[in-house]
Amino acid sequence: MTIKHCDYSQHYRPRMAFTKKIEALVLEMQDPDTGIKTQTQRLVITTIPHAMTGHDILEWIINRLQILDEEAQNIGNLVVQYGYIYPLQEPKNLILRPDGSLYRFQTPYFWPTQQWPAEETDYAIYLAKKNIRKKGVLEDYEKENYNILNIRLNHKWDFVIMQAKEQYRAGKERKKADRVVFEFQERAYWLVHRPPPGAPNVIDYGLDRFSDPNENQVTQKKTFDVYRREIIFNQHSLMKSRVKSSVSLGGIVKYCEQYFNHDPIMTGCLPSNPWLTDDTQFWDLNAPLSEVPTKLRVERWTFSFRELLSDPRGRQDFQLFLRKEFSGENLAFWEACEDLKYGDQSKVKEKAEEVYKTFLAPGARRWINIDGKTMDITVKGLKHPHRYVLDAAQSHIYMLMKKDSYGRYMKSPIFKETLNKAILPEPTKISESKFPFNKRHRRSSPSPVILRQLEQEARAKAAATGPVDITQLCKFTSPIPHLTVYTGFCEPTSPTGTALCDFPPPSPGLMTLPNSTACPSPICVAIESTPASERKFEPSSISTQFLTIAESTEMSVSSDSSTAVVEETKQPSHKSRVALSFSRFLKRGCSNSPIFATLSPKCPAVNSGRVQPMNGEPQHQPQHHHHHHHHHQGQQKTKKTNNFFQIKVDIPSECRIYPIDSEDEEEEDCPNSVKNNTVKEVICPWETITEDGKAG
Amino acid sequence: MGKEECKTLLDALNKVTACYRHLVVTVGGTSDSQNLREELKKTRKKAQELAVANRNKLTTLLRDKTISKEDRAEYERLWVIFSTCMEFLEVDMKKALEIGQEFPLNVPKRYLIHSGMSGGTSAVAARAMSAQNMKYEADSNIDVADLKELENEINQVGEMMVEMEMKVNVANWTVEAKQDPGAELKSTISVGASSVGMISVNEETKSACDPTKVLAGVIFCAFLFIAVILAVLVIKLS
Repeated sequence: MTIKHCDYSQHYRPRMAFTKKIEALVLEMQDPDTGIKTQTQRLVITTIPHAMTGHDILEWIINRLQILDEEAQNIGNLVVQYGYIYPLQEPKNLILRPDGSLYRFQTPYFWPTQQWPAEETDYAIYLAKKNIRKKGVLEDYEKENYNILNIRLNHKWDFVIMQAKEQYRAGKERKKADRVVFEFQERAYWLVHRPPPGAPNVIDYGLDRFSDPNENQVTQKKTFDVYRREIIFNQHSLMKSRVKSSVSLGGIVKYCEQYFNHDPIMTGCLPSNPWLTDDTQFWDLNAPLSEVPTKLRVERWTFSFRELLSDPRGRQDFQLFLRKEFSGENLAFWEACEDLKYGDQSKVKEKAEEVYKTFLAPGARRWINIDGKTMDITVKGLKHPHRYVLDAAQSHIYMLMKKDSYGRYMKSPIFKETLNKAILPEPTKISESKFPFNKRHRRSSPSPVILRQLEQEARAKAAATGPVDITQLCKFTSPIPHLTVYTGFCEPTSPTGTALCDFPPPSPGLMTLPNSTACPSPICVAIESTPASERKFEPSSISTQFLTIAESTEMSVSSDSSTAVVEETKQPSHKSRVALSFSRFLKRGCSNSPIFATLSPKCPAVNSGRVQPMNGEPQHQPQHHHHHHHHHQGQQKTKKTNNFFQIKVDIPSECRIYPIDSEDEEEEDCPNSVKNNTVKEVICPWETITEDGKAG
Repeated sequence: MGKEECKTLLDALNKVTACYRHLVVTVGGTSDSQNLREELKKTRKKAQELAVANRNKLTTLLRDKTISKEDRAEYERLWVIFSTCMEFLEVDMKKALEIGQEFPLNVPKRYLIHSGMSGGTSAVAARAMSAQNMKYEADSNIDVADLKELENEINQVGEMMVEMEMKVNVANWTVEAKQDPGAELKSTISVGASSVGMISVNEETKSACDPTKVLAGVIFCAFLFIAVILAVLVIKLS
């Protein structure tokens, strides 16, 4: 016995529920008075009744359902596609023509159902019968199917042949007209259920369910305990607090009204939508830790305490305020709780210990003020720490902050100052005339195949050349203040020229990182965590060192403007560089082009001399080196040709954190080998500069 | 030999299944009628008898441990054919039940689908029953009355198949087909060695199957005979 078709409880969630509706409609069409008028179809010898014109069918649908022409055409098409009505003159074209072409109803046996999908055995029998009837002349796809089925159903093949022959013979017992009709019917059925190549498969409704959604997954033996638990569960459900729909709907309306102006899709965003105008200022200004937040953002903080806490910049501000009021431990405790909840669970015990020692122990350094009962519960829970042990204390502190400090913060001079400093960005001007020239140069990176080849060539060359000459390298590497983004095989001039022009003012490097406040941004965390891993790397794989997310590769602006711009932009985006470059990096990374090399605090680890940022590449530098940019640029031009493509690298290990692309892996390899070869670009002095810069 | 009997029985079952299929296809269409329902019923019953006979035969043969390997392979092949046939029959019966329920014949406002079929199916049924002509003796509401029985029979068939599975352990996939692809083309020209002689007779006379023609021939012969006798008498008298 073969495995029967298991319907997996499909009848509980029928996928083809529309069949019942079409069937009802088709049944109505049969009414001799109100149904569709039929005529006879005249074939060569026989006449067959019950043919209808497409036009009649369409008219009937329009009248019966009181709908418009288009909709009726659509419904008519569906009815024909699913095989309830089949065309007589163009059997393969399953649409309802509104003209005089003939159609006929399909017999109920051949209607599509979900319970009995068209079986392979049936199809095999049909093909065999057709074979007999047409003496071996089948269509190509049918022949293919026939062969496939022969292999698949080999064990049943005898039955298939026997049954085909018998059905053919039995069919001969009918009168000629009926035989012809039967052939039409079968053909129509199989055209729907086994469509020829190129025709859409309308019967396919996707995957079947594996279980009945309404059934209990586990059939438990109904013991006393089961019933008891069921009763308790139901009692609890009764006691559950429910919100009236009027209230919840009112809440939604209020929320929408409040946030309407803050939604960049509903109300436009200033300066402009970066996806449309290619101006990334919006992201830069709204970076998680930007120095000067936008007015809208600050306004959001006034909506609720939750908003304030969830915005890293807001939290920063709030922290400052709390420090002034000498209640900073509340926020610190809250953050520690969050870390415990969402952080690494393998360190739960240590974290809990820390928290206790710092915040909860009597006489602790930053003792928080919670009531005795909560303290008892918490301390007891800390004996067996898990994610949520500090929940009670955390909610207490949260409410405390919300009810007490939040109000005062809103009236504090710190907040007022932030509010005043908040900027309202100007909408970007799109000068239509220059638009094609303003477009970013998007360079696609060379294919990995080519990169590998180059890598190998470079390796070969390196093997030929001797050890790296440091002095030579330093000459080129030192004063490249800006990172240039390399994207590939561009002509030597382009990166410096156009590319540079395209980028917005560079953002300074990581220097700002150390300045960031207690609020650990993911970037900081990332960077801090990576050094360890990086140091594990072999010196050769240092190339990654150059890059760091925080890097502002942008640099490269055009010569004059760059310096000026750098100066200007230094101010506003000081702190946001990290985030800014991060966002840029993400953006670039996703587009597969950029390779940022940045100075990273890690660079010092790289002092292995083998690092070579390919020319001009990641020589990123802290902002005070920007004046070297020009100098560097000149050199870059010459070097570009041979090294340019090699630069890809630099997606530092830190970047792995971000879901960029798998190109990362490949790029990691690239620099490694390439590094060995590009003799010219050692970073050493650059690195030392970095260190200095970093310190600064 | 056991094999020949099995084959014969199997062929018969196969034939009845094919005819049943033809009959079920017409249910719900314009050639549906009480007669059709009765034909369905009769064909079904015949199929069931044959199925039981087949099952008994094959089960005894397959349980017999003393048969040779080739024989066993052959019986297994027959078994696979038999079980597939039964599955086929079961599905057709289920479909007949569903369509029969949807299209009761005596309800005034329910119309049959204008499927284009207009002729009767009695010949098909006759082929299935291996009878010359079909006799219709059921009452006029057989379409509804039969459905209950049909349901029961479907259950019976289902149980039988489960039982079969339990009793005989045959691996489907080990059976190899004897027929090659395209085998159907070779032997259809000759109206096969159908086990039931009636069928072939029916087929051969199909083209001239008009009963009136036969009657006319008989009458003509009778007339001829009478004429000859009269002529002889006349000669004798004169």
